[in-house]
Amino acid sequence: MWSYAFKRAGTTAVTLLAASIIIFAFIHIVPGDPIYVLLGDTATPDQIDALRHQLGLDQPIILQYLTWAGHVLEGDLGRSIFFQAPVLSVIADGAETSTLLATMTMIWVAVIGVPIGMIAAVRHGTWLDQGLSGGAMLMASIPTFWVGLYLILIFAAWLGWFPSSGYPSIFEGGVVNLRYLVLPSLALAAPNAALILRLTRASMLDVSREDYVRTARAKGIRPWQVVRRHIWRNALLAVVSAFGFTFAALLSEAVVTETVFALPGIGRLVVQSILRRDYPVIQGVILVIVVVYLLINLIVDLSYRLLDPRVELQ
Amino acid sequence: MRYGPSVLMRGVVGLVTASFLIAQANAATLLREATIGEPPPLDVMLTTADVASVIGRHIFETLYALDSTYTPRPMLAENDRTEDGGRTIVIELREGVLFHTGKEMTAKDVVASMTRWGSFGARGKLLMAAATSVEATGKYEVTLKLSAPNGAWKALIADVNGGLAIYPEDIATKAGNRPIEQKDYIGTGPYKFVEWRPNRYVEVEKFDGYKPLKEKGDGFAGARLASFDKIRFIPVPDVGTRVSGVQAGDYDYAEMISGDLYESLSKDPSVQVQRTNAPIFGLFFMNSKQGILKDNYKLRRAIQTALDKSQALRVAFGPKDLWNAEGSIFPNGTPWYSTDGASNYSAHDPKKAKELAKEADYTGAPIRLLVSTNYQAHYDEASVFTRQLADAGINVQMMVVDWATLLKMRGQPEQWDIFVTHHSFAPDPLLLTFLNASYPGWWDSPEIGSLRAELINTTDPAARKSTWDKIQSLIYEQVPVMKVGDAYTYDIASPKLKGLNPNGPVFWNVSTK
Repeated sequence: MWSYAFKRAGTTAVTLLAASIIIFAFIHIVPGDPIYVLLGDTATPDQIDALRHQLGLDQPIILQYLTWAGHVLEGDLGRSIFFQAPVLSVIADGAETSTLLATMTMIWVAVIGVPIGMIAAVRHGTWLDQGLSGGAMLMASIPTFWVGLYLILIFAAWLGWFPSSGYPSIFEGGVVNLRYLVLPSLALAAPNAALILRLTRASMLDVSREDYVRTARAKGIRPWQVVRRHIWRNALLAVVSAFGFTFAALLSEAVVTETVFALPGIGRLVVQSILRRDYPVIQGVILVIVVVYLLINLIVDLSYRLLDPRVELQ
Repeated sequence: MRYGPSVLMRGVVGLVTASFLIAQANAATLLREATIGEPPPLDVMLTTADVASVIGRHIFETLYALDSTYTPRPMLAENDRTEDGGRTIVIELREGVLFHTGKEMTAKDVVASMTRWGSFGARGKLLMAAATSVEATGKYEVTLKLSAPNGAWKALIADVNGGLAIYPEDIATKAGNRPIEQKDYIGTGPYKFVEWRPNRYVEVEKFDGYKPLKEKGDGFAGARLASFDKIRFIPVPDVGTRVSGVQAGDYDYAEMISGDLYESLSKDPSVQVQRTNAPIFGLFFMNSKQGILKDNYKLRRAIQTALDKSQALRVAFGPKDLWNAEGSIFPNGTPWYSTDGASNYSAHDPKKAKELAKEADYTGAPIRLLVSTNYQAHYDEASVFTRQLADAGINVQMMVVDWATLLKMRGQPEQWDIFVTHHSFAPDPLLLTFLNASYPGWWDSPEIGSLRAELINTTDPAARKSTWDKIQSLIYEQVPVMKVGDAYTYDIASPKLKGLNPNGPVFWNVSTK
């Protein structure tokens, strides 16, 4: 286990280095320039050149990379050109929203997607299964922004049960502020719960066709115990890895939901920074996202071993 | 232990009640404005981004301010006089004006701000390029000397947008060309900067040391009375969310609502619609420096003749209340309104356009039109015009990029023939970007060169108006830009707000009913 963890750490470092070079190169290849966005319409070439020099953007790209990478190794991700604040604190602020949103979404996904998927699998082929699978397909097909806008219209504008948008930190207003995340997490959960539902159903059906399940049934074990002990536990592997990647994706890719609900999350931060060419923020956020993906990947791999003792980590 | 759950329950109820009461207490004095997005740094001298100006206007002030007819009125200035045929401008400052630090504003602060604005301000060169000196000639007196008179000097220093906001001397001196840091957002305005939480809000609070002018508030001029303790400018990028947010009572004001919602919101009792009286207008810039359209006035006129501007405006802005197919660069009712040349504004005559193109020896070579999708209206206008030009046999190829790319590409004359942007309302022709020869498009023909000099150096308003008439005629003849038409944006607000300002979203003199 430990030697495995060390090996993984080594590959992680190489992946990070490669990722940092790719991120840097791609961002600087894209045309456009933060200075133009910053100074606006009427800036003269002299003003543009002067500010570019001030921000060090006129240096050779390799030098810019080495400077940036050197600071990153010291734990300094630089300063945002637009927010005039350290990139790390900008990311930390966005990370709170994104992590809570992703966690709440995953709770909905687990509470809705997994049990219904199990029911659909157990009642495979019946009208109930057809109905649930059809419903899931529908939920997976409706765009998130549409669901989001209707949730706002119904539950915020008409009924007034939840706030329409925004998210004040729980560190400022306490846990009651989590109510701001109820509607966005539901909007995000809709398609993801549907996918997990279908995945749970499919992998349970796969497992239920295995010989050992037939044997268990032949032994006369009660049907719900067959499901719980033999089918469900084995079907869990696929579902768990899907959970891991869904969570990672929710942290960084919830941009549409974050935009609709005006949430200060990571996804919106990335897109906005790309549009404004806020290089330090883009580089910092993407690097952090890569690290998070690598970590979640590692946790998922390690959890296989816990779920299924036959899995060997090499 | 037996009482555990009930104690816990009481605690929860208490907590919820307390937070509800806190929210209620805050609601009485906090104004929440939903903006279209996150602003760039609030160094209003450097940037012309509207989202920065809207916030910055509450923090920073200018020597003059525009009233509801867009005429400059004294703000931080008390009065002024010109000497030496307009080459020397002496401005007396108001006494007792305090910065947010508590320090009094004096001539030294104005001189330092003017110097920085002249070197690095977005619109600083318009006035300061001709400055030979700017000095404090008294504690409250500033003297600006110019090499030639400037008839628009007051209008050029009457708004914060890329303009001469007055900063404390030390901040203006030390900042140079870098945007000033957040801790240095120190102005003389009725609100002072508190904090900026990325993607959450920018917060300003009432400045207790503010002394409003005695004159009644009018446009941006006159008394500025702050009735809210705090204002939060909250970036809400989705327009649907901005609307629902005001309807739900989560925001008190929301900017820039889309045209398709105008009719339904006008009838909605849960909001009040606030249409601006300062239209923006779409502009198609022709490349005067390089390429097929350089000096090719006939081909430009062929393009102009082929277009039906109303069609593009309808597609881009929707209901008729929100646009006006107006050929005068300045809207009717302003001192600069002119009909000269405007008969060529929207001819929509493909046959005549074809003839003109033929006379210009145009043989169907592609004309590259640079446009961004970040502004839906730009893209809609470009799509409509491309179709109309195809009917006249003019082959336009749209190059669609994002706004940051467009801003860079338009500075490279070999990359494009036409680019699309829009222009905010300007109180004086000198503030029009296309009259600036260094602005992409680079219109610098000998004719405009001499008319521009005349417009700058004339100080008599009637003479300046007659020069402007000639310039507008020339615009329709040489076609350095094509005006699409006037678009009136609109905002929505809670019905509880009163005293809203149609010149733009500012929240002094605004209160709850």
